Amino acid sequence: MVVLMGHSIRLLALAIVIAVVVAEGAGRAQDARVIDIAAERFAFTPSEIRVKAGTRLEIRLQSDDTAHGFHIVGTDVDIELPKRGRGVATVNFQPEAGRYTFECSRVCGAGHEFMRGVIIAE
Amino acid sequence: MLASSTVENYLKAIYAGVARLGHGQRLLPMGQLAAAVGVTPGTATTMVKTLAESGLVEYEPYAGVALTAAGQKLAALVLRRHRLIELFLVRVMGYSWDEVHDEAELLEHAVTDRLIDRIDEMLGRPETDPHGDPIPNAEGLVKQQDAQTLLSCPLETTVTVTRVIDQDKEFLRFIEQHHLKPGEAIAVEARDAAADSVRVRGKNDQRITIGTRAASKLLVQVAQVLLLCLLALPAFAQTEPARREAPRTNLSGYMDFHFNNEEFTDARLDFHRFVLLVTHSFSPRIRFVGELELEHAFVEGLEEGGELELEQAYVDFLLGRSFNVRAGMMLMPIGIINERHEPPVFYGVERPFIDTVIIPTTWFDVGAGVHGEVGRGWRYRAYVVAPLNAAEFNADIGLRDGRQKGSESNVGRPAVTGRLEYVGVRGLTLGASGWSGRSGFEFRPRFDVPVSLVEADARYARRGYEFRGEFAQAWIDNAGLLNDTLALRVGVNPNIGSALRGFSLEGSRRFFSGSRLGEVGGFVRYENFDTQYRMPSGYVPLQEFDRDAWVVGANYWPDADVAIKVDYSIVRNQSSVISAPNSFNVGLGWWF
Repeated sequence: MVVLMGHSIRLLALAIVIAVVVAEGAGRAQDARVIDIAAERFAFTPSEIRVKAGTRLEIRLQSDDTAHGFHIVGTDVDIELPKRGRGVATVNFQPEAGRYTFECSRVCGAGHEFMRGVIIAE
Repeated sequence: MLASSTVENYLKAIYAGVARLGHGQRLLPMGQLAAAVGVTPGTATTMVKTLAESGLVEYEPYAGVALTAAGQKLAALVLRRHRLIELFLVRVMGYSWDEVHDEAELLEHAVTDRLIDRIDEMLGRPETDPHGDPIPNAEGLVKQQDAQTLLSCPLETTVTVTRVIDQDKEFLRFIEQHHLKPGEAIAVEARDAAADSVRVRGKNDQRITIGTRAASKLLVQVAQVLLLCLLALPAFAQTEPARREAPRTNLSGYMDFHFNNEEFTDARLDFHRFVLLVTHSFSPRIRFVGELELEHAFVEGLEEGGELELEQAYVDFLLGRSFNVRAGMMLMPIGIINERHEPPVFYGVERPFIDTVIIPTTWFDVGAGVHGEVGRGWRYRAYVVAPLNAAEFNADIGLRDGRQKGSESNVGRPAVTGRLEYVGVRGLTLGASGWSGRSGFEFRPRFDVPVSLVEADARYARRGYEFRGEFAQAWIDNAGLLNDTLALRVGVNPNIGSALRGFSLEGSRRFFSGSRLGEVGGFVRYENFDTQYRMPSGYVPLQEFDRDAWVVGANYWPDADVAIKVDYSIVRNQSSVISAPNSFNVGLGWWF
């Protein structure tokens, strides 16, 4: 009997642990959608991002060469990306339905004006 | 006696975990503790039961764990050791603040309280570590900080950053780079709930927009600043709300300084390029880009020497993602180097031969055109431009001297050029480009010299490795008549080929990414280029123009925008009479 009770308690504890892990996972899923964008002369990759309108986006930007800028046209979002090897810049953005052009806002070379992309929220 | 490092790590994790619990919560769930320590919940529970038996923690099955008074003190003393070691490493040993955490994690378990007390005394009994974390005293007591986050402090009020509550290296470097370290005076200009962002005005009125998650990790204090404001009223006036437009004109540039030691000639020191780039935004949709280049440092009228060139001066009308209009002096969208030639982005002191002899880089001229991205990483450029002048072609460097460079360019029969490019995969660029025009406009009676060039290139860079390949071929129709006409004009037949062809392959590897001392990379490149690949009827190619080259060398980047380069270039041709010179080259190039 004691052995059975001990076994039941271990099962219960395991169930609680699983429930905690699942709950934490679900909590993360409801968090922002993470989008990684690489910047290199003279392109953002990816340059086209499609999301559901209203999705909270955590955009993580990493440069593969010099410092770049990330500006979402028509918004206050404008951040400088550290140079290669110096870290990641993060922007949170929750777009309503529409198309949002983003561009490099720090002059990075002869083809700087080609560094553009779009977030499409549908 | 010191507790074991495992015990100390558990106590520290419980201490930090309990501090983050929500209002009214007292016990740290075992799942969170297990995750923090990096073990399974079962292992964590076993350890916690042992700690409970030692009187260091209070454990409630299925509820969680908290520290007893004894455990609290022991955990605080571990934090004291950790934070004093971090400060010691930064102040005395010269470490940067983003690299001390790992060292302190090891040392905190190894040092004695006596040594820690001596370090504390030596550092002047500091109250905070380099990240602004409070240092407990020898009794384990911590001075409470009255701080707010950037999400709760008042807007448009100067505050002082007091603490960064995230030890992630990348985050700390980001904070340092944007002058948001403890001690910096900043002001929150705006919070955008919809975008989950906070705009901060910092040093020299620089603005940065950060996410709310990052903002929640920065603690600030207001009270001290109010006192400063009372002492310095003019400074207070500067904190008045004032939305300022971002600067609309920008100056940047790049430079190239070379040492060239070529066989059969004396070594040269050459300030090869001094380039200033000026950009101006008339509005978000209308922008100007200008690039003025001084080559070889010195220009004097009517004499051989340097060149002062207007390489770019165009206005972009940004109408949409897929369709934009550009007009003015523009770079031809041909090849890898012509549009992407900042010195730190390529290996080798001099530009590749194919980008000099076959594609006349830097190739620029006046014209107008369209460009845009059509989706999924595909983009295009298509321009109508001034044609090349065939009267200036020659056998050695092909089309190069035929560039009109926008200097009263003849556009009686304009040329067309374009490029299709794929950049949809990180690190990968695939491109195909072309140019076609009629270049015989200078001759009287006029005759056609149709010229066309096709090019294809690929570049893939990932995890320090980079591979490049490029192929280009040009055709000069009517080359026989062109040679005959020029022979009559100058007295020597220039022997211009009817086709030029070249290709190059390059492999490279970069090391030490992210190192404070910089990065190093090595490369090897093979090139084959022939400016007389095909000859007009009745002409024989000269073997000295059928060349190939091996170039090997290295780059050192003390900063991503500064490159010190060295290479050795072995050039061979098919001639048994005329040798091509090898060269040893050293370069210093930078971009800002």
